[in-house]
Amino acid sequence: MAITDMEVAPAGSGALKPPPSPAWLVLPGMVFLFFVLLLPVGWLMALSLKPSMAGAFSMEGDWTIANYLRFFSQPFYYSTLIKTLWVSGLTTVITAVIGYALALVIWTAKPAHRGWIVLIVLSPLLVSIVARTYGWMIVLGDRGILNQFLLGLGLIDEPIQIMYTSAAVIVGLVHVFVPFMALCILTSLDKIDPNVPEAAMTFGAGRLAVLTRILVPLTVPGLASGLTIVFSLSISSYVTPALMGGPRSGMLTTFIYQQFAVTLDWRFGAVLVTLLLALTLLVLTTILALAARMTAKWSKA
Amino acid sequence: MEQGMSPYSDFFRRAGTGLLFLFLLAPLAAVIVVSVNAGTTPKFPPEGFSLKWYGTALSNPAFTGSAFNSLLLAALATAVGTPLGVAAAFGIARGRLPSAVRGLLEAVFLSPLIVPGIVIGVALLVALSSAGLRDAWLRLILGHVLLVLPYVIRTTLASLQNFDPALEEAAHTLGASRFKTLTQVTLPVLRPAIMAGAIFGFIISFDDAAVSIFLIDSSTSTLPLAIMSYMQYNFDPSVAAISSMLIGLTLAGALAIERVFGLKKFLGS
Repeated sequence: MAITDMEVAPAGSGALKPPPSPAWLVLPGMVFLFFVLLLPVGWLMALSLKPSMAGAFSMEGDWTIANYLRFFSQPFYYSTLIKTLWVSGLTTVITAVIGYALALVIWTAKPAHRGWIVLIVLSPLLVSIVARTYGWMIVLGDRGILNQFLLGLGLIDEPIQIMYTSAAVIVGLVHVFVPFMALCILTSLDKIDPNVPEAAMTFGAGRLAVLTRILVPLTVPGLASGLTIVFSLSISSYVTPALMGGPRSGMLTTFIYQQFAVTLDWRFGAVLVTLLLALTLLVLTTILALAARMTAKWSKA
Repeated sequence: MEQGMSPYSDFFRRAGTGLLFLFLLAPLAAVIVVSVNAGTTPKFPPEGFSLKWYGTALSNPAFTGSAFNSLLLAALATAVGTPLGVAAAFGIARGRLPSAVRGLLEAVFLSPLIVPGIVIGVALLVALSSAGLRDAWLRLILGHVLLVLPYVIRTTLASLQNFDPALEEAAHTLGASRFKTLTQVTLPVLRPAIMAGAIFGFIISFDDAAVSIFLIDSSTSTLPLAIMSYMQYNFDPSVAAISSMLIGLTLAGALAIERVFGLKKFLGS
């Protein structure tokens, strides 16, 4: 950069000195992040190693792992971790299927329709979370649209309960995370030369073969980043499980809310926060490492 | 490619696409239909057309007061977070730092996107309480600046990386001072990216519930939380009316981002 500066400056104007490094500009943001995010989160994690005591947020007491032993020894506590994992896993798988279908719809759409379709696919993201959840309550409630429709068709005899179950949580999460997944996959699809699948079909490949043997392998990077984003967003989501799953949705995040807002056992709550953070980081690093290996493998193949 | 590529026959492809779109749009359509319902319960199909629930929602002090709080909070958080983020993006992109340091800085600055909102809220609550600071507005502003910051940094950084250095060199050659180059050349070029980040940050802040739920107090609430607590005891269509207004507001913000920056580019970056 400095060298190009010198070359561009005409001889008569005097050598253009490279400006002083503006690296110091990161300092205000860094100080802010340190005091508002890193220090508080670190403090909270340290607090999880202090004996459990209702209402205590100071650092008094001896260091102990008693809170962690308590969490992992009682099914009532560690079941929230298990439930968070399977609800998030199922959400991610369903989101991947729907997101892939929508990405294909966008990819194969006529250019004139593409803008509208992208807008529809993004629409869940553009709507306030409370508005979205209220909409799902109208659709999925005991006397909601879906139940009325199924009753009217005679498929069911009495309303099925969907709201305040894990199914409702998964529907709500899939709905809002599908746009992320579709966009991630679309980014990969857009890099594929449309002639490649066409050539395969000319040589007699079936549509399913084109999908599973050509498109999916070529979109592994996009799919991987979509899976990473959706899984980590799922395990850390709070508002959708709280509203759609009811107060006893049994997820880690709703349990965190209980500990900090109702039980006020902040030190035990700090264990849950630490576990949630550890889980998020673990998922992100694992899937990113996996994606790097897959990409390497596919690019060699 | 259009005919050759579709994995199903045309009919099934259209039907499948229709079902997917229905899934995406159903809750939003339901909210809007119910908001103009004349009845007192969110019945479907609605019992006649009426705008009375908009009147009910707008005359509910719990909604108007918290809506004012949310707007003020989002505006303050964006006003503080945007310069902080733009400065940080400049430091990262132009700081001539070793690439390992750059990567680390970028990761730290984008980390509020990875840390769950509920963790940000809880951590701030505990840390500020132990420092003796219990003012709800202070807590909310600090937490929401954190929400805005990564979006501004991300868009500004992306724009700085595509910045053509010849523009600044030309300005300098033509005798512009360093300050003048910054204000008359560099910042105007970056403006769409900064605006997109700021608008998105504003929407994220306005829509947030997970961070705020721990930071409000009995006298200061935000709109999403006021709606959430109202929903626990009431199910009347005034929630649909206020939700429809929120849909309109977010749509306006999204269109603004689309105009200045390109929405897909923004969400994909």
